[in-house]
Amino acid sequence: MADAALDRESGGGSVRIMDGVIATPELATPPAFSSTGPGYDFRKAVRTLLSDMRRDWQLYVLLAPMIIWFVVFLYTPMYGLQIAFKQYSLFRGIEGSPWIGFDNFVALFSNEYFLRAVKNTLLISFYSLVFAFPVPIVLALMFNEIHHQGFRRIAQTITYLPHFISVVIIAGLVVSFLSPTTGIVNIILDRLGFEKIYFLTIPEYFRPIFIGSNIWKEAGFDSIVYLAAIAGINPALYESARMDGASRLQMIRYITLPSLLPVIMIMLIIRVGQLIEVNFEYIILLYQPATFETADVISTFIYRAGLQNNQYALGTAADLFNAVVALVLVVGANWLSRRYSQHSVW
Amino acid sequence: MKRMMTAALLSALLAAAPAAAQDAKTTKITDKPLELTIHMHFRDKYVWNDDWPVAKELNRLTGIKLKNVASKATTLSREAFNLLMASGNLPDIVAGNELRHDFVRYGMEGAFQPLNKLIDQHAPNLKRFLAENETVRKAITAPDGNIYWVPYIPDGKYARGWFIRYDWLEKLGLQPPQTVDELYTVLKAFRERDPNGNGQKDEVPLFIREPDSELQRLVVLWDGRSSGSDAAHDFYIDNGKVRHPYSGDNYRTGIRNIAKWYAEGLIDKEVYTRRARAREALLGANQGGMTYDWFASTASYNTSLKDKVPGMKFLAIAPPASASGKRINENRRARLRPDGWAITVANKNPVETIKLFDFYFTPQGRLLSNFGVEGQHYDMVDGKPRYKPEILSAKAPVNAQMWDIGAQIPIGFWQDYEYERQWTDENALKGIELYEKGNYLIDEFLGVSMTTDERQIFDRHMPNIQTFMIEQMQAWILGSRDVDKDWETYNAQLKKLGLDQVLAVMQKAYDRQYR
Repeated sequence: MADAALDRESGGGSVRIMDGVIATPELATPPAFSSTGPGYDFRKAVRTLLSDMRRDWQLYVLLAPMIIWFVVFLYTPMYGLQIAFKQYSLFRGIEGSPWIGFDNFVALFSNEYFLRAVKNTLLISFYSLVFAFPVPIVLALMFNEIHHQGFRRIAQTITYLPHFISVVIIAGLVVSFLSPTTGIVNIILDRLGFEKIYFLTIPEYFRPIFIGSNIWKEAGFDSIVYLAAIAGINPALYESARMDGASRLQMIRYITLPSLLPVIMIMLIIRVGQLIEVNFEYIILLYQPATFETADVISTFIYRAGLQNNQYALGTAADLFNAVVALVLVVGANWLSRRYSQHSVW
Repeated sequence: MKRMMTAALLSALLAAAPAAAQDAKTTKITDKPLELTIHMHFRDKYVWNDDWPVAKELNRLTGIKLKNVASKATTLSREAFNLLMASGNLPDIVAGNELRHDFVRYGMEGAFQPLNKLIDQHAPNLKRFLAENETVRKAITAPDGNIYWVPYIPDGKYARGWFIRYDWLEKLGLQPPQTVDELYTVLKAFRERDPNGNGQKDEVPLFIREPDSELQRLVVLWDGRSSGSDAAHDFYIDNGKVRHPYSGDNYRTGIRNIAKWYAEGLIDKEVYTRRARAREALLGANQGGMTYDWFASTASYNTSLKDKVPGMKFLAIAPPASASGKRINENRRARLRPDGWAITVANKNPVETIKLFDFYFTPQGRLLSNFGVEGQHYDMVDGKPRYKPEILSAKAPVNAQMWDIGAQIPIGFWQDYEYERQWTDENALKGIELYEKGNYLIDEFLGVSMTTDERQIFDRHMPNIQTFMIEQMQAWILGSRDVDKDWETYNAQLKKLGLDQVLAVMQKAYDRQYR
């Protein structure tokens, strides 16, 4: 089972640390993170941490690049978030630009096109969650049921391929397929006796096209993580189920899916955190003013309103808003998941 | 012996550049060598290079060496400029494309030196140019009355024009359309009467490669306007009043008719998605009948598609007269590009630098910045520069070759159309001549510089207004909405989005700058 595998892994890890702990006399002092009670001694905690670091320095060296990366690329730039509250000038710099309070936010939220972009972003993300999120899971289950190895490999490779194609080319393919005169879709429509449709200029079609082509592009690649989880399921479970006379569908229902659940929940929480982000380049490549009504998302709005006119403060304000919403969504999703499925990221 | 060798070497060097060698005396700006730093990252992929033949020649002629400080690490010129401004570590000169508003804005904030006095005292050629081109001087003047930058001055008048399949006209026994009604008849005939003779109704009578700016340009045929400058959706000036082209009754009439033409299949059904490949694809497939596009590149298809589409004659025609009988060509080459260079406050040699800027407005400076180095890239024939045959016959276009040697780059220089004429297709030159003769040029709006307060109002409203305008325009043209039904709500929404406030600040800036 997948969480059995996970358990074994983390169990292995803790055993190793225990070995180390046993070998050292500091075992008597409780670990720093658990001593937040009334008797919490900061200096003692620091001392413990330092001795921990000396003892397990190899582990900390391994951790260091990631921490440096976070500090340099994610935490340091946070200093710049203050320009959301300033009338920012590149030349005057962050310090030299005057404070203007919430003006940038007021400008954003009194803007009906920004609100439309927020709505479109959430709708596109929500529909993706509903329609695109389950596809890789289903795909992984289907791959798992293919027993002919050669056929399975070919099928998998074919579904991965689109992931490696640049979005620019994907957009070009979509435009060609949907072309009203020479596109395959319209030729089929025509043969079946329907009217030809200029899909990419009709707002109602934008979301299905966007989400549909994204599924085609990413579902195969996204299924890898589920396939890996399936590979970790203990074969003994299937064997005993087969002895009990379970059908293949029943095995999927009662063994594979429950074993996959932790991975699914984690992927879902991550996905919810990205609800507010939509693939910006792909939208820019596919949308037209005629489809702004459904296609204009926060990032494309900022691109047109902010960056094209060098309004960095406005762009930062929108980014900050994005970040806050994303944080709320992730914490919320994690809380719900912990509450109802006992699986969570933290 | 050693001295003799040096002399021989020197004379050999001199022989390589006989005419220029004498010039150096008159063009020297400083006797002791001076090195200035320049930040120039342009068109997202080039930086100033002191190894360019043109940069070396500049150094020899003026005694000033420009040393690049821009990093090649980024492929976005905008980003390179922003980083420079944010770092606060300014070089002597900043140059590049699309920097007009930055020069003005950061000039007023104290990053660039005002040039008015320097030009007055040390730049006679530039001064004369600005005196003779009053509008250019006004256009580059900041709201505080100072000039902070020297622009790239393009040359030549016409950019885009009307092209039609003459051979199709002849085949169908039609005359080149002279009015908008005749144009309609011709396009209709292209659609109905199978001019390519393949038995299928696959002709695309009118196609547009750049629909974002050129499709709505058709409203000119019904006396509307689509832009006042060479940028799309720009304001225009009507008797001293700033107006936006996407309002007013002529615009409505124009859009109504474009929608009708689109619905009848006279305009490419895929006009908004075919885009960049429209011209090549439709001409190559022998399906496209007419377009509005750049003279030189459009005319060149007569040669490049000679074998694929035998007998193709895709030639320029004069702009058809509008509904009220006016013949105008709205699109033209700008008299001023938003590119150029400026002197930063860190520069300790402003006098030498402005003399360098002035050099580009002297005859020698223009030759160097337009044609490259004499003897290497061009020769003087009858007192006129003439590209070497190997440059004209090379596979790469001449402008790309010039960029590689450091000529025709977006610094403050004065272009000479002769540079382009020498490698322009014969059919294109004929077309341009036709337009010159008819004089279809109209005055352009050269843009305004705004104060911080004005820009704030503009930035708050204009992005939304433009989004709304373009969204509606496409919906009307594609037929998903009806311009006549929407017209009142359209104007009400424009008002609500703040068009009046935007026009007011534009007017204020315009009056300050051009009155």
